Amino acid sequence: MNRHVNPEDSDLYALGALDGAEMQELEAHVRSCSECARAVDEARQRVALLALAAPAVAPPAGVKEELLRRVRAERIPEAHRAELAKPGRVRGFGWLTPAFGVAAVVFAALSALLWVRDARDLRRVHELEGQLAVAQTRSLEIARAAEQTNKLLEWPATKRVALMPMPGMEGHGGVLYNAKMGMVACSGWLPAPPKGKSYQLWLVPMEGKPMPLYVFGEEWTHPMEMHVTPGMEAKAFAVTEEPAGGMPWPTGPKVLVGAGE
Amino acid sequence: MAGDEGALEALYDRYAGMLFAMLLRILRDPGAAEEVMQDLFLQLWRGAARFDASRGSMAAWLLVIGRNRALSRLRGKERREILGDSEEFSIEAMPSAGNLEDEAARAQLMRRLQGAMAALPPEQREAVELAYFEGMTQTEIAERTKCPLGTVKSRVRAAMQTLKQLFDDESTRQSGRL
Repeated sequence: MNRHVNPEDSDLYALGALDGAEMQELEAHVRSCSECARAVDEARQRVALLALAAPAVAPPAGVKEELLRRVRAERIPEAHRAELAKPGRVRGFGWLTPAFGVAAVVFAALSALLWVRDARDLRRVHELEGQLAVAQTRSLEIARAAEQTNKLLEWPATKRVALMPMPGMEGHGGVLYNAKMGMVACSGWLPAPPKGKSYQLWLVPMEGKPMPLYVFGEEWTHPMEMHVTPGMEAKAFAVTEEPAGGMPWPTGPKVLVGAGE
Repeated sequence: MAGDEGALEALYDRYAGMLFAMLLRILRDPGAAEEVMQDLFLQLWRGAARFDASRGSMAAWLLVIGRNRALSRLRGKERREILGDSEEFSIEAMPSAGNLEDEAARAQLMRRLQGAMAALPPEQREAVELAYFEGMTQTEIAERTKCPLGTVKSRVRAAMQTLKQLFDDESTRQSGRL
């Protein structure tokens, strides 16, 4: 590439969207052209800011604690080495060594007791942080599913399928499906499955075996989005009751069913 | 900052939210996002003595290297790094197109950017998000969205052009304030 880099290509390069050959060509030129190198550098600066497009999520408090613990752990050996390097540090005070030894044992025992209690509290904090992180992830999934739903609704080929309960079953749901795009969005409600069981959502294609889409291990209350192989038309969607964790093919009773056509 | 826990804490408090949001968006796994974030801050702390703040921004370094690490992890292989995330490069200050250091300016930039992204036509937004948050090339985006490559190129270019305008305006606003 002898000509200068197109400014739009600088953006695409910084984004990482250029394919192999285009990227290599651009890099070869940039190595020998300070003007284009500067343009690419500016594009990198702009692209870095795209990170701010992600909705803000606070990290769990335990992450900072763990980071500081790691930092301290790195510093301790350094401090320890420096201390050992000091010459004659107990010279003339040898009689103190046994007393320090006893004090050290007592101190260590007390520290261990406190550490056990702190560790218990810390475990609880980590558990809560884990729950919070799951909630944050779920919020993210819900937001994404809502976005997917809006996108699906804009496409004329999208089909809407109502999931109705089978006799004696509880629950309801709805599926938006676009075969061309291979996109599925689903929302509804199902009670918590019986112990040792999960609910599983299936796409029943025009031909061939039902395709597993999603497994609900708990009460289903939030919308979901899924991707399937584009081009696959659906004859129906169904939710069945399966062993916990789901199955590769349906084995249990149908809970919700909806015809795709 | 090397050896200064207080400085590390201050830096963490300032940038962890911004960084974690990006990592979580890419990795979609809080545990993995936490791990990558801790490693980044630890690397920053270890190499802070070599950091020259007059040459750029730590926040930009965190975002660029953080994205590279997360995408490498997401794709389960050593991705060709966009910015050469190598050891000698590791703690280079990076200039930034926006003021990431000032919390109010950062929050304002975030609002403007999110507004601009939301205003993009959905297919343009999807293309940019697939490239930025999933590390896809234009060919990969074309395969994922089942669109011709030329269409994808046009979408990414149009979206980046719109965003470039936003950053240019932002830059002008910052200069006017100074």
